[in-house]
Amino acid sequence: MSGFMYEVKKIMLWQRGLFYIALVLLLGTVWLALSDNPADIAMEQYKKEYEWYLEKVNGYCTEESSLYLEQEAERIAEAKERQNSLLENYYDGKIGESEYKKESREIEKVLERQNGFEVIYRQYLYICENPGNRCFLQTNGWMGLLGKGTLNFILFLGILLIVTPVFCSEYSCQMDTLILTAREGRKSALYKLLIITTVVLFLSLCISLMEYGFYRFKYGLPDGDYPIQSIRYFAGSSKGMSLLEGYVSIGLLRMFGGMFLAILLMLISVLAKKYAVTLLAGAVSVMIPYIGLSKTSIYRLPLPLPFLLGTDFFAGDIVMSDALTGDEKIIFAEVGTVTLLPLLSVSVLLCALAVVWILRRNSNSWLMKSGQKKRGAAFVVMFGLALAVTGCSGRGKTGSVVYNSSAAYDCMGYEIIRDEENFEYFLKNTSMGETYPLARSPMFGVFSDDEKICAFYVCPPYLYYTTSVMESYVNRVGNYNSNITKVSVVELNLDTFEEKTIFEQMTNSGRSLLGIDYETGDKWKFLDFHQAFFLNDDNLFFIGNDGVTKVNRYTGKTVKLDIPVNGNISFDGESIFYKNEQGVLTRYDVSDNETYTYENIVAYDFCMDEQSIYYVSRTDGGGLYSCGKDGNNKKLISHIPAMSVTCDTGNIYVLSKESGEEIVLPKSH
Amino acid sequence: MTRLIKYEFYKSFCKRSILVVLILFSVMNLFKINSEFHSYSYLADGNDSRSWNSVYWQLYEDYRGEITAEKINHLLSVYQPLADATADMTASTAKDSPDMMTGNIYSDRNILEKYYVEPMEYFYHYRTYALQVAERAKENAAVYKERGQTVEVRKNSVIYNLYSGRSIKDFAYEEMYNYYLNYDFSGILVLLLCLYGVVSTFVCEKETQMDMLLLTNPGGGKKTTFAKIAAASLFAISVAIWFSVVDYIGFVYFFGTAEGGNLPLYAVRNFSTAAVNCNLWQYAILSAVIRAVGVWTMSMVFLLISLFGHSALVPFVADFGVALCFIITGASQSCFSNTWLKIINPYSLLANRILFGKTEFISFAGYPVQSYQAAIIFAITVGVVSITAMMMLSKRNSYIFCWTVKSRRRTRGTFMSALSNESSSH
Repeated sequence: MSGFMYEVKKIMLWQRGLFYIALVLLLGTVWLALSDNPADIAMEQYKKEYEWYLEKVNGYCTEESSLYLEQEAERIAEAKERQNSLLENYYDGKIGESEYKKESREIEKVLERQNGFEVIYRQYLYICENPGNRCFLQTNGWMGLLGKGTLNFILFLGILLIVTPVFCSEYSCQMDTLILTAREGRKSALYKLLIITTVVLFLSLCISLMEYGFYRFKYGLPDGDYPIQSIRYFAGSSKGMSLLEGYVSIGLLRMFGGMFLAILLMLISVLAKKYAVTLLAGAVSVMIPYIGLSKTSIYRLPLPLPFLLGTDFFAGDIVMSDALTGDEKIIFAEVGTVTLLPLLSVSVLLCALAVVWILRRNSNSWLMKSGQKKRGAAFVVMFGLALAVTGCSGRGKTGSVVYNSSAAYDCMGYEIIRDEENFEYFLKNTSMGETYPLARSPMFGVFSDDEKICAFYVCPPYLYYTTSVMESYVNRVGNYNSNITKVSVVELNLDTFEEKTIFEQMTNSGRSLLGIDYETGDKWKFLDFHQAFFLNDDNLFFIGNDGVTKVNRYTGKTVKLDIPVNGNISFDGESIFYKNEQGVLTRYDVSDNETYTYENIVAYDFCMDEQSIYYVSRTDGGGLYSCGKDGNNKKLISHIPAMSVTCDTGNIYVLSKESGEEIVLPKSH
Repeated sequence: MTRLIKYEFYKSFCKRSILVVLILFSVMNLFKINSEFHSYSYLADGNDSRSWNSVYWQLYEDYRGEITAEKINHLLSVYQPLADATADMTASTAKDSPDMMTGNIYSDRNILEKYYVEPMEYFYHYRTYALQVAERAKENAAVYKERGQTVEVRKNSVIYNLYSGRSIKDFAYEEMYNYYLNYDFSGILVLLLCLYGVVSTFVCEKETQMDMLLLTNPGGGKKTTFAKIAAASLFAISVAIWFSVVDYIGFVYFFGTAEGGNLPLYAVRNFSTAAVNCNLWQYAILSAVIRAVGVWTMSMVFLLISLFGHSALVPFVADFGVALCFIITGASQSCFSNTWLKIINPYSLLANRILFGKTEFISFAGYPVQSYQAAIIFAITVGVVSITAMMMLSKRNSYIFCWTVKSRRRTRGTFMSALSNESSSH
């Protein structure tokens, strides 16, 4: 067996190289699969509708595509308007059923892809900022693949594990001197270098390919020849390259970064001859600049870190305006080709010098010549020069209750009142007249205006409320942000007044964690705008301006439900009841995700309790009717034309259309 | 024993490499503090007579010390006309106006607003806010008493006692302390240095197979293990304290002042609901001690893990991975209200504002325990358990072991006869 094969066997088997490679690839894949979220959730959710529009405008934004999108936007707006008037006319008896159906079919045809249209229109607005280098395309895959500027910790630890023992194991048992006396001594170091470089390049390549495969399989990676600026992460970039070129370049840079780190580790292990020093130096050379330096500085250092990150070599300037002084501040300065090429050359030079040094240190004793010290000094000088050149310069079981978003809260003898002066909420005991602050923590909202209560949900004996809290300690725009906005759902037991937080989520993305940007993306943005919410044992449902979002309480998975928020939304623990776009009462079963439409109930407004649904009929002259939850047993309650209806345990409250007064009807009526 | 600990300390930690890393990390830390000053403070704009830095310190003499009605009125008489003149954003944007302190009317308004009006308003109102909290806590205690919630009653009475006397009487510069209290970078350096120092403690002897030799020595075995643990503890605590001192000196040096040390801790806005009543300089000392406890606990865990390795490789990477997990989970969970997660993570003690910035409790055996108290108790327990585990897992001294076993089994006579039998058989 040749010396090379011995080395391969030693590194791969005895030093568990193969095991670590497999472990890195396995953990890398698992982590990627677990941590991935689509950058644009709506694009993924309404993929078919979006793709339908994309087919028509794919590519650069031409005058035709621009005209088409503008016309389509107009068409959709008109269709929505027409739909409303058509409904009014139909329910008022001005048009017949056949005409209504015929026209509404046409309108539905226009509106059937409106969710997808919203996504493409947002993309259109982004493209309009700079139509010269931005294209219409499916961005989720490319965003996932290219738009992540974070360090791959698994690969980093894997490289540490694989590379460190290569030389250190021989120093620890003093085999190095023995190797030096052997004829193949110098070759041994060369073999080691070759094997480790190949392994690290292979590992980096595998990870890049695995990521490519993952995103291609999950979202698709179409149109790789479009400019890199087509995705938001590279919006301000001045580099003229395609997405695929970007991926290849970043991949190559990352491979080089891995190799650079491996060579650096080997150099340190040859110099220090100790595991601990090598590992510390490796960890410090990557972690300290990562945590301690701004992104702009990181990408100008001849160290492995910028190459391991790779992405931001191709990103553009990020400029923000200071809130206090209004001055513009550069958060990240683009790495121009003029900077990148020297940086890369210096790094390659450093690698080459390190390789030479490693080989020299592992030369057979009789090959040593005088002048070693001079070369060493020359190496130090060159290293210094190189640095100078590159500018070193738990939850409770919920009971069964019926929730109506439009109704008042029935809180077991308590009333929720709001102090209009300081916007605080109180609980008022209706029988005793005592008031208690709703948030039980005496500190809540006292010291900061950014701590507030947003919405309520009652499910006896619990009152749930959501709070929004904003914290920060740096008020200046810069490399480090400290803003955190979090939304919590708190469970208050109205019997014991015990309080417990059952759900918490950070919603904003303007934050860095130990100097590393911590992106929450737009997944939780909807929480900032929720007006009401309800829940069951498995899910939380937040009602926002543009729909209802379901959040799994265990996994945190969010799904935007296709429920319009144009009126009351009721929930009985199993199903959500709402009026659809046509005003028809609809039920959505939350466990099996099925929708059922009550064709015979067209309502201006409705509310419900445990047994019945009360609704102001649109088709029967605005009278108030009741029916069972299945839509049967329809009964007339009142002839008086009404605008809206709400109910509590004993009464039904109707707002009269003519007088504008509230009429109270007992349920036994 | 003291000599043994001393020897172990010299052997493991008085190495050139550790000294080099210590100096390197201290220098890096100072650079980072300097960059914090330039990134965060608006007063880092030089010493020009119209710079914010100069203007701030000129005005400071007028407003420092006890907050009085005259000072407030004087400040408002300067600030209000500027605020009115700039309200509709139509004032002159000239940058060299001779009537203005900084040369520009907006700039004058901004410096007064950010550095004088807002802090003084907060300081002045703090007493009312704290009183409100105390009152609420008192009401809460009564409400919970009616409902038989003993823990909540006790919790609210602790809050009442904590907040009832709070007020900020003096005005002083608190910006330096704000950033000092929110500074985490040195914690990472301390962890890395301790990791490097501690990981070799047991492993260096295994790498050279000296561990076997040690066991034959009268002072080897458990005694050496204990001495190593004591030396490592001493090292971890010294490093933590050293970096706390460097942090403080660095912040005082780069911000150019140590003013504000006598302000109460809650004078820093994101400590408004601080868990303790003490001054900022007292908190700086407390924070150094708590951080040392956290570093010690983590070092003991590192040491325990390193006991299982034959070389520094796997223990270092494992410890580094564990430290990363602690840091990332600790930092990302710091703003959430799950107090238990903060308590069990030793990173909370390193960046101890997570524990001291908020008045939070856990309930233990019917009594409310403040989060920082629980975290300290938990960390010390983990440290002691790690030490016990290391003592149990380390090998006993073979030299003593042989003799004690043999003397128990045989009398001296039987031992001698056994020896003679053995020699005769040969």
